[in-house]
Amino acid sequence: MKKDKPRIALVIGSGSVKCAAALGLMKVLERENIDVDMVVGCSGGAIYAALIALGWPVQKATDATLRMWTREVTAKRNIRAFLQLLLPQIFKFDESFGLINDRVINRRLREGFDGATFAQARIPLFVTATDLYNGEQVVMSEGSVAEAVRASISIPYIFPPHKLDGKFLVDGYLNDPLPIGVAIKEGADIIIAMGFESPYKERITSLMRYNFQISSITSNNLFKTNYAFHNLAHHFEIIPILPEFEQRISLFDTDKLPYVIKEGERVAEQQLPYIKGLLTG
Amino acid sequence: MEIQDKQVNGVTILTLNGSIDAMTAPKITEYIQALISEGNINLIADFKGVDYTSSAGLRVLLGAIKDTRAQSGDMRLTGVQPDVLKVLNLSGFTNILKIFDDLDTAVASYA
Repeated sequence: MKKDKPRIALVIGSGSVKCAAALGLMKVLERENIDVDMVVGCSGGAIYAALIALGWPVQKATDATLRMWTREVTAKRNIRAFLQLLLPQIFKFDESFGLINDRVINRRLREGFDGATFAQARIPLFVTATDLYNGEQVVMSEGSVAEAVRASISIPYIFPPHKLDGKFLVDGYLNDPLPIGVAIKEGADIIIAMGFESPYKERITSLMRYNFQISSITSNNLFKTNYAFHNLAHHFEIIPILPEFEQRISLFDTDKLPYVIKEGERVAEQQLPYIKGLLTG
Repeated sequence: MEIQDKQVNGVTILTLNGSIDAMTAPKITEYIQALISEGNINLIADFKGVDYTSSAGLRVLLGAIKDTRAQSGDMRLTGVQPDVLKVLNLSGFTNILKIFDDLDTAVASYA
């Protein structure tokens, strides 16, 4: 049976605070009465995918981000993790390893999403994480939104993997930083895909920077190879929305949210004529 | 989308102006397939006038590249604008396609 109108998916990839650009994109789509039929989010993108799917207005979503995501979420060290590093046999190094105590982030997400479930989302929501034991993508579409987002943002080495339904889940970006495949599988026709490449360090002066650089190289190559495959596999249109920021946006730069959202609006306006053209056929 | 072609030293130069997307893809496909069926398998696509390409547009491009290569020809690009190059890079096309800064160098590459 031929569909009446193309199904539109919004996919928000990993990118920490930069993912707030999706709020700007949604402002433009809502203004133009363009309904999104599903939202997919990964890592930082999962936070904004959830806020959008729950139907929170931009200001409420911005306020929620400012409450949830501050430097305090990574301030408290996980002493046991450091002991595990030094004496792995005695302190039983295992899959729960993470250098940061996750009590703060867990509490912030629970409070931030206020008990919301996937069933309460106004738009079908899909959040991705990665199974630590086999590298497979895990797509979450039911249960607690806060739990799913916590799994999706489990930055390796930093936050402990999140145990959910018997699986140890780590950051969704490790399987696919921009999970367009989920939208394809769920029957989307027009896929608006907002993605961000990881920045590269200009100088490598510490183990931490070296590790960060290797992570960026891996993540960016994975981003491109997956995008290339999805691009060729999809039957209709994938519209890449790739905001570029003149200012550097670091992990906790929530003071730059208004600027990030504005950039999201700007890139959305650029793509708008083509999106409208596709809808009018 | 406007398309024109001309021959230079046995190479077919395809000049495209406009957007390569789902709406223009059928016209572009038909044009390129006609050229290939007439034996024009050494192609250069001049992208100076292309301001946008989408996933549907890239599938058209890939189809043409594969058809020319299957007959021992090729399709190479020149004049690619920065925004379009970004999408080509993201989609892995820069890994499988030769892209030149100028038309003369692109033509010479077939020598």
